[in-house]
Amino acid sequence: MLNSFIFIALPYTALALLLLVTPYRFLSNRLTWTAYSTQFLERKVLYWGINPWHYGILPILLAHIVGFAFPGAFKGLLGNPETLVGVESVLFGLGAFAVLGVVLLLLRRVNSAMLKRVTFTSDWLILYLLLFQAGTGIYIGYVLRWGSQWYLHTAVPYLWSIVSFQPQIEYVADLPLVFKLHAACAFLIVAVLPFTKLVHMLYLPVDFLKDPPLLYRWRSK
Amino acid sequence: MDVRAQIVMVFNLDKCIGCHTCSISCKNIWTDRKGAEYMWWNNVETKPGVGYPRQWEDQERFKGGWVVDGKKLKLKAMGKGPTLANMFFQPNMPKVEDYYEPFDFDYGNLAGAKEAKDQPVAEAFSQISGKKIEEIQGGPNWDDDLSGSQLYAANDLNLKDKKVIESYDSMFMQYLPRICNHCLNPACVASCPSRALYKRGEDGIVLVDQEVCKGWRFCTSACPYKKVYFNWNTGKAEKCIFCYPRVETGQCNACAHSCVGRIRYVGVLLYDADAVEGAALKGDTELVDAHRDVILDPRDPEVCRQARENGISDQWLDAAAASPVYALVKELRIALPLHPEFRTLPMAYYIPSLSPVLSTWGDTHKLLEHGMIPALETLRVPIGYLASLLSGGNEGVIEEVLKKLIAVRVQMRAENLGLPADPALLQEAGLDEAAAKRLYRLFTVAGYHERNVIPPQQREEDDPQRRKQEAGFGILKKTRGGGK
Repeated sequence: MLNSFIFIALPYTALALLLLVTPYRFLSNRLTWTAYSTQFLERKVLYWGINPWHYGILPILLAHIVGFAFPGAFKGLLGNPETLVGVESVLFGLGAFAVLGVVLLLLRRVNSAMLKRVTFTSDWLILYLLLFQAGTGIYIGYVLRWGSQWYLHTAVPYLWSIVSFQPQIEYVADLPLVFKLHAACAFLIVAVLPFTKLVHMLYLPVDFLKDPPLLYRWRSK
Repeated sequence: MDVRAQIVMVFNLDKCIGCHTCSISCKNIWTDRKGAEYMWWNNVETKPGVGYPRQWEDQERFKGGWVVDGKKLKLKAMGKGPTLANMFFQPNMPKVEDYYEPFDFDYGNLAGAKEAKDQPVAEAFSQISGKKIEEIQGGPNWDDDLSGSQLYAANDLNLKDKKVIESYDSMFMQYLPRICNHCLNPACVASCPSRALYKRGEDGIVLVDQEVCKGWRFCTSACPYKKVYFNWNTGKAEKCIFCYPRVETGQCNACAHSCVGRIRYVGVLLYDADAVEGAALKGDTELVDAHRDVILDPRDPEVCRQARENGISDQWLDAAAASPVYALVKELRIALPLHPEFRTLPMAYYIPSLSPVLSTWGDTHKLLEHGMIPALETLRVPIGYLASLLSGGNEGVIEEVLKKLIAVRVQMRAENLGLPADPALLQEAGLDEAAAKRLYRLFTVAGYHERNVIPPQQREEDDPQRRKQEAGFGILKKTRGGGK
């Protein structure tokens, strides 16, 4: 029952919300499509929170994604124990870094009076979700060692079964509870993404890299 | 030659009385909103002074504008790679303390206070946190009129010799009204990773597309004039829009319209877009001349031909020919760009102020050179100071302008009093009688339509079918980034 909920109901709900709400928001309410930076109001703690968070979590997120996309390549690569230890150590360090960052971001919202009026339920929600996600992540990394290897043999085939609409939850059904919570929280984050400021991560500034510095807009051209 | 048109404002600092009417009319129309309380798209600062936000001219701190790197221009702050790496925390962004914590007063307390021995007062509270503010720490014109104060004026970066403001008889003060300069080479536009900022091709107005802005905040510090503000409520950048909804229909900007001293002139300038980059690459002291060279003569038939080819209407060309801005900036060479050394080619120009005509009593005899009008060398405002503000340090440019201002005064004073005028003075200043009359008229009796020559944009004439298809639904808007 719990397995079906976490591994079937949740991911499909999350996916549906992401795919339907995101374009709807993009088309109907782009004025709220921003990172809602609070650097203007408080920057001392932000510096120590926001940088560790992003620099910690982005490589980890990327690792999850490339592992999902190219499992074959990584199975071979991580078969080498030395590589595996290296990858695990780096990811664990980055995870700890991210947890430190998100804790500071959370405390900052609690303590700064200047941030009261720019802090909404959605901000608390995503901060707690991200803290839980990063926390369970490094717990798994430490206690259930060699996750970067077993992820490729459990979660990845399961995720592929989800996206190909033939859910096979037996890949992940017998894993410890903490893994299930980690997965459930990941789906929750995907589910709330289109409703919150997390949409900022769906925009990658690539036009900017190739464009000439000055941008003109003509009414008639 | 790529001829383009821009609507440009000129400020006559000689006539600014520092009343802040411009700021208030702007605020009432555009920034009287949550998140925008601290924004002053138009502000007036006292010079010498630190300005708004405090020390905005200090590019070592805020890293605004462009620098020349070999034979290329680059943003002073950072290139594209570091921009991506600094997206999470923008190191140069001004913080709320650099402006001030916006406040309002609790007027409800005046009526609602309980009966007591003392009169109730309206206490100040922060418009950001909502908390009571015991002592207000700053405001948009916090150093208003305090030119002699060591606390503020001494921190003016343009003031090389601080002694000037220490002694009462050498002290000076002037006002500097500022809006967004709608630069030809805007650093804010170049710094935006989302490409939300753009310059309108038809009239040169620089805008932030609120739908595209993702709040990365690089523009706030890339603008060396600190005229892009971060709205802490919407999480997006905002700036002066040159009152485009008014200007498009041929009306004057709110700030210029309400100006009590009638110090502002609005009109069309034609410029050569191909020459912009080359002009920005010149050395500091050559920048003003390079700036003027970018501006084209609207009466030159070749310029007009190319302008028409680029889609500039005859109405706009007529306005360009009648433009008071063209007269002041290029023809009579009397209006100068603010801090040209930031290399954004600002398109707001300033006529420097003359010093007070009367000095302290003991020195009065020195001032009698041209009747009651002082000679250039005896002016109280140090020329170096004006040069630092308006000519990238080139004192010759400032002297030329001041000579003209003095000559016009001497000429008109003589004329009014029926005295013989000295034609040599005009000649030396590079003016003739007609030019002096023109300046006199623009400075004094010119009416609204002489000071502001604004052609309507005629949007309705422009490709009506296309306009019809664009109207109604925001989602059918043209894709961003298109065109030139």
